[in-house]
Parts: sequence; C-alpha cells; structure tokens
Amino acid sequence: MTVAESLSEVAEETTASHRASFRWQTVLPWALAAVIIVLCLVPFFLVIAISFGRKIEGAAWVWDFTFENYQRFFVGTLWPDEVTFLYLQQLGYSFWYAVIASLLAVMTALPFTLLLTRLSRKAQAAWLVFILSSLSLSEVFIVMGWDILLSNNSGLPALFKSTGLTQWLKDMGWFQVLRDWGLANPRNVKFKTSEFATILTMSYLVWPYAVILLYPALSRMDPSLSEAARTMGASTSQVIRTVILPSVRLPLVGTSLLLFVFLLGTYVAVTVFADPAKHTTAVAIYTNIRGANLNAPFGATQAVILLVSASICLTLGHMLNRWAEAR
Amino acid sequence: MTQGQTIGITRAQEFPFEASVCPKFSRMPLHTPGFGSVFVDRTKPDARSLGITWGAVGSAGTTATGSKDITMTGLNRRSLLKTGAAAVAASSLGAPLIAQSRSLKIGSYGGYFENSFKEHVYPLFTEATGIEVESVTQPNSTDWLVTMQQATAAGNVPADLSLYARDTLIKASRIGGLLAPLDLTKMPATSNLDGYFVFEASEGPLGVGAMSWFTAMVINPGEVEAPESWAEFWDNSTYDQSLGLSRNYNSQFLDIIAATFFEGEATFATEDGILALIEKAAEIKPNVALWWSAESQMEQSMKNGDVIGGQYYLDVANLMMADGFPIQPIFPKEGNPQDYGSWCLSAISDKTDEAAEFINFSSDPATQALMSRKIGTAPLVDKSKTDLTDEEFTFVSGTPSIKPAYEAYLDKETFIKESWDKMLAGA
Repeated sequence: MTVAESLSEVAEETTASHRASFRWQTVLPWALAAVIIVLCLVPFFLVIAISFGRKIEGAAWVWDFTFENYQRFFVGTLWPDEVTFLYLQQLGYSFWYAVIASLLAVMTALPFTLLLTRLSRKAQAAWLVFILSSLSLSEVFIVMGWDILLSNNSGLPALFKSTGLTQWLKDMGWFQVLRDWGLANPRNVKFKTSEFATILTMSYLVWPYAVILLYPALSRMDPSLSEAARTMGASTSQVIRTVILPSVRLPLVGTSLLLFVFLLGTYVAVTVFADPAKHTTAVAIYTNIRGANLNAPFGATQAVILLVSASICLTLGHMLNRWAEAR
Repeated sequence: MTQGQTIGITRAQEFPFEASVCPKFSRMPLHTPGFGSVFVDRTKPDARSLGITWGAVGSAGTTATGSKDITMTGLNRRSLLKTGAAAVAASSLGAPLIAQSRSLKIGSYGGYFENSFKEHVYPLFTEATGIEVESVTQPNSTDWLVTMQQATAAGNVPADLSLYARDTLIKASRIGGLLAPLDLTKMPATSNLDGYFVFEASEGPLGVGAMSWFTAMVINPGEVEAPESWAEFWDNSTYDQSLGLSRNYNSQFLDIIAATFFEGEATFATEDGILALIEKAAEIKPNVALWWSAESQMEQSMKNGDVIGGQYYLDVANLMMADGFPIQPIFPKEGNPQDYGSWCLSAISDKTDEAAEFINFSSDPATQALMSRKIGTAPLVDKSKTDLTDEEFTFVSGTPSIKPAYEAYLDKETFIKESWDKMLAGA
C-alpha cells in the first residue's frame, strides 16, 4: 500500500465519519420536533378539534363541526329564547382570583425576599432550601391543610370561640356584619366557603414561586444604590419607591404574569373553598368532561376560550411592559 | 389532635382520587351503552355449543345430554365416535381441569368497596361454582363507561362484568354497542329481585341489580332536633349557612324537592316543572354552607361541625355514627332517594355463562344479606327473604324510598345542568 493510498483511505474514513455525524445531527432535530409534535401539538389540536364536536343528549358526543359550543359559552344553551352569562361569569372569576392572588403573593414575597437577601449566605441558603422543599407539597395537601386550619372544630373558628372573640363580636354587634359578608353562621364565624379562603390559599400556593423568582433579581441588586439614596436624605419609603421598585420592575411584572397564568387553572382550592356561585372556568371544564356529563366538546370549548383569554392577557402585559420601558 | 383531624389529613391525601377511595362517590350517576347487532350471536348461543359448554363444566350427565344433541345433527359414525370420546374425556379427566380454568373479570368501585367484594363475596362464589374471579378496579360508574367505550372500540375490554349506576346503564344503552343482553332464564335467582332492578332495553335486559344505596337526610343531633320533613331544611332561622348539599345537578336533591313540594317524578316531565324544582332549590341557598362535590368533603364538614345537616350516604353516615361522630341519618316522611348499581356484561366478552352464574349468585337472598352486612349496601330483595335482623336492615335501608327521575336527567341533560348551574351561580 502506498502512502498515497493510505492517505486517501484515511481521508475516506474521515469523510465517512463526518457524514455519519452529519446525519446524526440532522436526524436529532427532526426527532425532537417529532416528539414535540406528538406530545404537545397533537393533544393541543385535538382539544381544538373536539371543541367543535356535538353532544348527544343522554349519551356521549360525536365529532362534528359546529359553533354551538362557542355560542353557548357566550349566551347559554337556550339562546335566543333566554340569555345567560354564566360561563362568562365563571371566566371572570378565574381571572379575578388569579389576579388578586398573584398580586398578593408578589406583594408579600417582595419584602420577604428583600430581607432574605440581607441575611448571611448560610441563612439565605437555609431559607431557600426550606422554600424549595415546600414546593414538593401538592395543591391537594396545601388545600387540605388550610381546610383544617379554617374548620369549625379544629381551626380558626374554634380559636375565636374558645378565646371569647366570637362572643365579644356578638356583644359588640359586629357579628352581624360578618354574617352579612358570609363569614359567619348563627353559631360562630366561618371562613369556608368564602373568597377570603380561596384567595388566601391560592396566594399561599404560589408564594414560594414568587420568592424563588424574585430572589435572583433582588440578590443581584447593588445595596450601595439604596445606601447612596439614604445618605442623600431619602426616607425608607422614598428609597423603596424610587430606587428598589424601579430596579426590579421587570422581574416583578414577569413574576406576577407567571403566577397569574399558573393560578388560572387552579382546581382543588376553588372546588373546596369557593361557593359554587363563584366557581371558575377550570372547575366548569372538569364537570363537563367528567363522566357524569360526558360533554367533552363544551369542556374543550371552555378550555380553548380560557387559553385564548390568557394569551391576550399575557400579550397585553408584555406590551405594557415594553411601553413602560420605552418611556 | 382529635380523631376528626387525623382522619381529615388522611382524607386530604385521598382527595383528588376521591372516586377511587370513596365507593359512594363513584356511585354517582353516569352513562351507558347499548349493544350492536354484531354481538347477537353471542347472546343467543347455539343450543349445541351450549350443551357442550355446560357439559364440560357440569356433571357427566349434562355432558351426555350435550353430546346427544350433537350426534342428532351429525349422523355419521365417525363423528359419533369422536363426540363420544370427547364426552368421556370431558366427564372424567377433562372436567376438573376445565373447571379450574374458568374465570371472570368483575369490575367494582375501588377502595373499601372493592376490597369488601374481594374479601367476602368473590371467595364464596368461587367456592360455589369453581369460577375464579379477577377483580378489576373501577374509579366509578361514569368514568368507567368512558374507559369501556374506548376499550370496546379497541376490541379488548378490561372487565367482563361492570358495575354501573342506573343512569350510567341507561346512557350506555343509548350509546349502543357496549352491553350484551342477559339471558335471565340462566339466572333463576333474579326472580327474587323487584322488576325495577332489572333494566330492560329494546334488545333485552342489559343490567341486573347488584346492590343499592340511599342518600339520606343527616343532621348533627347535638345541634338540632331531628326534622320530620325535608321542608324544615328551608327554615332560615335554624339552618342559615349550616347545610351540606351535593353540588351535582343529578345527585338527587331535585328528586327530594319533587317528592317534598311537588308531584314527585311526574314534575320532571316538563321543562317548567324542572324550573319550578330548581327555583325551590334556589330558596335553600342561604342555608347551604357547603355544596360538596366529593363525598369526603361532606364527611369532613360533618365531623368538623362546619355543617349541621344535609344529604349524605346512609351507610357511611351509620358507620360514622357508630364511630361516635356527631351525625345521625334520618328517614323523613318523604323518604330518601335510593339509587342502585347493576351488573352489566360487556358486549365483546365471551364469558356469558360465567357472568350468568355470577349474577345468579349475586341475586341470591343470602348473598344480598351478606353484602348488606359486610359492605353496607341495601338488599335488592325483600327483607323477609333474607335473614337480616331489623337492626341490620335499618343500618342499610329504610322507607319510604324516593326513586330518581333517571330518564329525565338524561333526556334533558344539558337543560337541567345549565339551569342548575345558573341557579347555583345566581347568573
């Protein structure tokens, strides 16, 4: 074998291995794309396709192409004889709970995280590990924990009663006010079912996320900025308003939007703590798809509308952010 | 920590799976299929093949009869010899082997319910017939129907016999192609059951009652006097923000209203009648502290004192009362709604005979009494046919019973659901 021959052989081998790795590189993205299509897009389009299906009374549903479900969402099934905004109301409550609970979580997590970043490294690590581990508790656990905390015989109402607070409220005449607000029965205060319990639990649910999302931004914040402001005579509230908040505005807005989207789909907390009059679209979707009703098309319609509304909100939030940025 | 709290935590873990852990929840209504012409041959087995099947598992005498049928149709000597040899084999060596291989997959609601069946009912059946039972866990009636619907389409079902609540059964028969008609002549013990518990569709009987349960009025005896009528629950001075009722439109509260204030089931005949029922339900809203969707919510709320009355399952209420919790089930003068579950045979199951034997066994008064004692379900046969004592009987049953308007709930499904949801939402 001549040198030239062996050289050309080496060259061929190199090209072959090149070719092989080249093929591997082309195939991988396609394989990943296929996985994404099968696992994400197909179910997604399936939901959209099912939302045009038709329910057969007293039985299941069939494939079809009808806009009846969408019409029902906005005006009810009896339209045009009768109009109901039941489903819009549920959508409204979905947004209401998610907005209030995510804002509440961010607003309380912000000062906490700020104080956290001022602790020693060791203390910070301990807190973060604790908060991260609390994420392993499922929604169900958290809801049931609060359920017990707010229960008549074992929770807050029992405390009210045993400390005489209930009697005091009755003597002062404020008990009637609580009853008017739906926070008391003739015997004692009660916190379930109420918007108070629903929003409280939902905030609690996402609070660790808020801390973890805000922590990187706040820990990177240069303390000398606030210190400089203080030496120039700014009060604490002025420092917070003019130095800290503006410098973390982006992570604040981002965190709120993320938690908001996360909370739109809350199911257990709403089922347990909210009055049926104030149930959300997520709960309605489940009751429709469940066997008791077998109306998957209408459930899918509600899911699609919830998704579209959430997307609109996110887009608006994004635009608002860009507008503020540009200003 | 009190006992109530401890249990609360346990329940908490179970909550999302309430259907599988709470047998009662699963009994809530659901759907149903009928069956298709494809399956007709299976439902009317040919006399000869039937003879052989029974012969193989039965006595030598039966086998001989079966063989005789065959020889009458195939007259040549060779087939006569072959059949004779088969009959001998089946009646001597073959019989025990074949008997051991007979089996049946039976579905029931997972958790306590299914466990009780596995522990108390299936072993007795296997002992009596030699048929092995493979227990299959159903989450409940309604979601199981969806599973069976898909499985039937795929041609391989997870269970031969399923347990469906009546409305699920009706729904299944309307969907069609899911259930095989049953041959009642092979299940003589079904004559013990009230005709109401055998569901007849146009193609034949599709379901035979397995057991029944009541949704009873319950109160906290430490807080209120036992009401004589459901109507007392509308009294705001006693029950303001204090009741626990089921949130589902088809969980029989409308039937209670129909029996208490209207003409019973007949009121469901018109949409105006249904709206009147729902309007009456709206009047009780200020008194309701909990609209429960999972059985465990109501259990917890009664234990915690969050509610002092409402509707709840009779057997669980009795169990709770026996454990010392502040709950007492009551039969008011209008009665309590009675629902029941049926055994239904999958349209593509080939275990027609085994299923028939099981249904026959289940319909026996002794089995009904056994289920009442061990599982807490109400018997479907007259009390006099069983050996249940008065105390045992009142633990699981009572009078009068309110029969739910199943057909109306299905015929006007969307209308009732939306009207009910509107009432709850005040929209």
